[in-house]
Amino acid sequence: MFVARSIAADHKDLIHDVSFDFHGRRMATCSSDQSVKVWDKSESGDWHCTASWKTHSGSVWRVTWAHPEFGQVLASCSFDRTAAVWEEIVGESNDKLRGQSHWVKRTTLVDSRTSVTDVKFAPKHMGLMLATCSADGIVRIYEAPDVMNLSQWSLQHEISCKLSCSCISWNPSRKYAKAETLMTVTDPVHDIAFAPNLGRSFHILAIATKDVRIFTLKPVRKELTSSGGPTKFEIHIVAQFDNHNSQVWRVSWNITGTVLASSGDDGCVRLWKANYMDNWKCTGILKGNGSPVNGSSQQGNSNPSLGSNIPSLQNSLNGSSAGRYFFPPLDSPRAGSRWSSYAQLLPPPPPPLVEHSCDADTANLQYPHPRRRYLSRPLNPLPENEGV
Amino acid sequence: MSGTKPDILWAPHQVDRFVVCDSELSLYHVESTVNSELKAGSLRLSEDSAATLLSINSDTPYMKCVAWYLNYDPECLLAVGQANGRVVLTSLGQDHNSKFKDLIGKEFVPKHARQCNTLAWNPLDSNWLAAGLDKHRADFSVLIWDICSKYTPDIVPMEKVKLSAGETETTLLVTKPLYELGQNDACLSLCWLPRDQKLLLAGMHRNLAIFDLRNTSQKMFVNTKAVQGVTVDPYFHDRVASFYEGQVAIWDLRKFEKPVLTLTEQPKPLTKVAWCPTRTGLLATLTRDSNIIRLYDMQHTPTPIGDETEPTIIERSVQPCDNYIASFAWHPTSQNRMIVVTPNRTMSDFTVFERISLAWSPITSLMWACGRHLYECTEEENDNSLEKDIATKMRLRALSRYGLDTEQVWRNHILAGNEDPQLKSLWYTLHYILCIQYTEDMDQKSPGNKGSLVYAGIKSIVKSSLGMVESSRHNWSGLDKQSDTQNLNEERILALQLCGWIKKGTDVDVGPFLNSLVQEGEWERAAAVALFNLDIRRAIQILNEGASSEKGDLNLNVVAMALSGYTDEKNSLWREMCSTLRLQLNNPYLCVMFAFLTSETGSYDGVLYENKVAVRDRVAFACKFLSDTQLNRYIEKLTNEMKEAGNLEGILLTGLTKDGVDLMESYVDRTGDVQTASYCMLQGSPLDVLKDERVQYWIENYRNLLDAWRFWHKRAEFDIHRSKLDPSSKPLAQVFVSCNFCGKSISYSCSTVPHQGRGFSQYGVSGSPTKSKVTSCPGCRKPLPRCALCLINMGTPVSSCPGGTKSDEKVDLSKDKKLAQFNNWFTWCHNCRHGGHAGHMLSWFRDHAECPVSACTCKCMQLDTTGNLVPAEAVQP
Repeated sequence: MFVARSIAADHKDLIHDVSFDFHGRRMATCSSDQSVKVWDKSESGDWHCTASWKTHSGSVWRVTWAHPEFGQVLASCSFDRTAAVWEEIVGESNDKLRGQSHWVKRTTLVDSRTSVTDVKFAPKHMGLMLATCSADGIVRIYEAPDVMNLSQWSLQHEISCKLSCSCISWNPSRKYAKAETLMTVTDPVHDIAFAPNLGRSFHILAIATKDVRIFTLKPVRKELTSSGGPTKFEIHIVAQFDNHNSQVWRVSWNITGTVLASSGDDGCVRLWKANYMDNWKCTGILKGNGSPVNGSSQQGNSNPSLGSNIPSLQNSLNGSSAGRYFFPPLDSPRAGSRWSSYAQLLPPPPPPLVEHSCDADTANLQYPHPRRRYLSRPLNPLPENEGV
Repeated sequence: MSGTKPDILWAPHQVDRFVVCDSELSLYHVESTVNSELKAGSLRLSEDSAATLLSINSDTPYMKCVAWYLNYDPECLLAVGQANGRVVLTSLGQDHNSKFKDLIGKEFVPKHARQCNTLAWNPLDSNWLAAGLDKHRADFSVLIWDICSKYTPDIVPMEKVKLSAGETETTLLVTKPLYELGQNDACLSLCWLPRDQKLLLAGMHRNLAIFDLRNTSQKMFVNTKAVQGVTVDPYFHDRVASFYEGQVAIWDLRKFEKPVLTLTEQPKPLTKVAWCPTRTGLLATLTRDSNIIRLYDMQHTPTPIGDETEPTIIERSVQPCDNYIASFAWHPTSQNRMIVVTPNRTMSDFTVFERISLAWSPITSLMWACGRHLYECTEEENDNSLEKDIATKMRLRALSRYGLDTEQVWRNHILAGNEDPQLKSLWYTLHYILCIQYTEDMDQKSPGNKGSLVYAGIKSIVKSSLGMVESSRHNWSGLDKQSDTQNLNEERILALQLCGWIKKGTDVDVGPFLNSLVQEGEWERAAAVALFNLDIRRAIQILNEGASSEKGDLNLNVVAMALSGYTDEKNSLWREMCSTLRLQLNNPYLCVMFAFLTSETGSYDGVLYENKVAVRDRVAFACKFLSDTQLNRYIEKLTNEMKEAGNLEGILLTGLTKDGVDLMESYVDRTGDVQTASYCMLQGSPLDVLKDERVQYWIENYRNLLDAWRFWHKRAEFDIHRSKLDPSSKPLAQVFVSCNFCGKSISYSCSTVPHQGRGFSQYGVSGSPTKSKVTSCPGCRKPLPRCALCLINMGTPVSSCPGGTKSDEKVDLSKDKKLAQFNNWFTWCHNCRHGGHAGHMLSWFRDHAECPVSACTCKCMQLDTTGNLVPAEAVQP
């Protein structure tokens, strides 16, 4: 279904993030070599690096594009505790001839006391807003009140979470004004992504943790809830895959929110897609080095060296088979669990946000039934020996 | 090295060789098996590699530790530390006649015999070998040997080699070490510091010590238990790892007082810790009796002293095999490659993948970064269309102008690829709705206001006629039989029209419909419809036709035969056989034909609930045969079913009403196809439906998709199409041209001219008959600004356009008269405020980057980066 080809990236160290602009004609990569590169796609479909510059004094974790409505604007965040906003300016004519573009730093956001782990622009209808999260668990939301002046950003909100944050994702919707949600995932979360909403009546959220999880958040209809107050959500887990065998690092939705790509410790990129019955299935696997996975069975353990014998949960989750299931009990809080991370749903207007971080010592969270309705109140941790 | 616990080592230079050592040394050669079969006698290491045994060396018993000579030449020279403290040089190479031959077999003997714990070759002076030994009261525990010590001064080595060839015995034993360190102490681990040739880090008993060979009397040390397996990060020479029991300590030599970091304690004691030589900050650890290698990815550079940044570490684990792992080794050059060996000497070769980060581009290609490499993955073009994702489908459909055929609405399903029966049904429904609507509009005299009902779907149509229909018996044509069918009132006729069975204006004659079905080769369906219209002869005739046609199925003849044997007799064999055998028919229409014929009077469940039959046929059937209450109940039930499933065939029932929006919502939830949803709702839904926030949201999302794909022309067409139905969606004018002098809009005069839309007049000045006036402001009569290129006042038409604008012009001219040719439009740069005729400006900037006004260095065209993007429609086929 898919063919892969390699692109000479020429980064001197690990690449941490890849990000496309709104049209998919430009791409930005960032790396541990402290630089960001911008790539432009030629008519023939080849990628050419048109800018490469040192952005930070530490590993650059993430890079992200603003909507082109605001110009050619990038934001990056780094281990050096800062996030920065960059704008492309029209360079000297000889620059243009060499096919190089010039980027200038418009602002540095220095509020964080620790490594800034993620940065994301808000959906365009909210104006020019930017959210960052940092290793000390603080989510900050900045706004540029004047879209013509990218050097002025005011810190709008500061939300403190109890755990270290590794990633954030804006909900693309404008329909539902307020959201307030907890995640019931107890393992470190490495990535989180809202699917493009595309007019669905619910939101889809993918989480990369020990496995790939896909949740749907269905707003409870207004008529049913008492008027006012934040929108409540019914949260269902619709899929959970441990085919990556161990940690899942990244998840990414395609433009329609119908295909999810995930990458994990097995060194493979997997594609997931729901059929018309809302059954999510793996539709493709590619090894991280672009080579196709050997063997006929796509579902099988592709890499015997990383194989494990954990049975897939897929069958018990999908379809009608009921039965309980259970999140494995967390290891006792580890002394050095600095790298635990926390996923935070960002509602468009954040002030009324209610925090429900799942504490590391929550023994085990239990889903009595996969399809049971969950309102967004905190789940009470159940006694350890109850159930299952 | 106990016999049960093999160790494994990669050759430092010959990257395809490794040694496994337990009681003997075995040299293996790794080969790729990607393109070849596994050779006899070789061991499989991974999916695409295998190892062949090259040689075995069992000359050195009581091995405790092994270290590979770091120089390129001689290859396969190893130092073996023995249980009695002797260090033996041995070789696995075949090159015994090399000049280094005499090195092989050389032994370095400590004064007092005790176990040798560790060996380390100096990375800078390759002849220096450090050995760490157990404690002895009267002796040193760290001995540094020079393997060429015999020949010092080392001026004429070649001669010496020849001379010493005869007297091997005497040269083999060396007892005088170069340096002796650590008296009355035990040394458990050693490594040379790459900073300087003469710095040696040693894990002694209860402390870590740095010995400086320039001044052996001094040492720097720190008391700690973590003294085992000291190893220097090859990328940051100040970072050192060591371990004790289950705990790894990371040290920064610049602040050696305490570990900068201790990693999570493992439940079992560690046996090996190693930095990845090909990648920064990746530490692999192995514990006893474990099949997991735990990796610590230190993503931060060690910070200068005094900086208290929290370290960023990601813990990972890999499980290369099911057995316990005895030892592992990083490949010296292959990125992140590692080989492991189990106690029973099975080996496995694998690569630790980096964390892959990935992103989808809007045009369904996936980009990911693995390590330092980027990979782009695109969907293959010649894919089976059924497997394509809706994103790809929508993009292709947008390109084929799907949804924009407003003349023959049904054709839209062909534009969509003619592959989805639901879309086909939807567009036919919309087609019928629009047709009826059109004719209704034509003859206004028709009683009642059926027009609004048409959009409301069959559900409301049927509801409106509740309790007005009586059934009567109708004769079967060509049969001596009568059946109860309903008298068709106006509503039912309307419903049948919507189902497509009958045409507007004609009688209740299904003839034309049957003919069209026959033409399309839908024999079974045509036969069924004929039968439902009580024309069994026609049904048989159609089936015969089908059987004799080219594509037809000969079995249809058999069906026709069975059909002709129809008898009304209740207990006949025919009836009995048909009702049982019909379930085996594959074609749903053939199936329902027999269901209909064998059914009891008034009970048609076999037809009504056969889900494989198109909804429109079932509904038409119901309209013909069900009584009002039955019909209502049936339609209600079916509607809910359709809404639940998001089945587009149900639009026939719901029409473009709120119900229809509900149905469409579950369709969108299921498929994500906002394109169909938007276009469907824009086929003449009433305004209140169009204003439904869900509909608005779909439209919004679809426009956003078109923008992301750079289908701006398609988006514009969509907007035009939309504004026809919903005038409020027309965007307001975004740009006004006002006079420099009086400040009034220069389009003022144009707006007084009848039939001129505001949309165009703001941008240009129309070629109005009085040409003399258009170059001046209609308000104050002052002249309009001049074009920066032709220096003529704006408002005059552009005479000709130089350069390659001909094709553009042709396109413009081919269209009907516009208010102003695009070339005549006002354009100006928002930055420098210079401008002129659009045509002139375009041709100027085709060759220039800077503004045409002298001394203005503004790069007007490059300011707008989006402006340089080409619409994707023009690029793609």
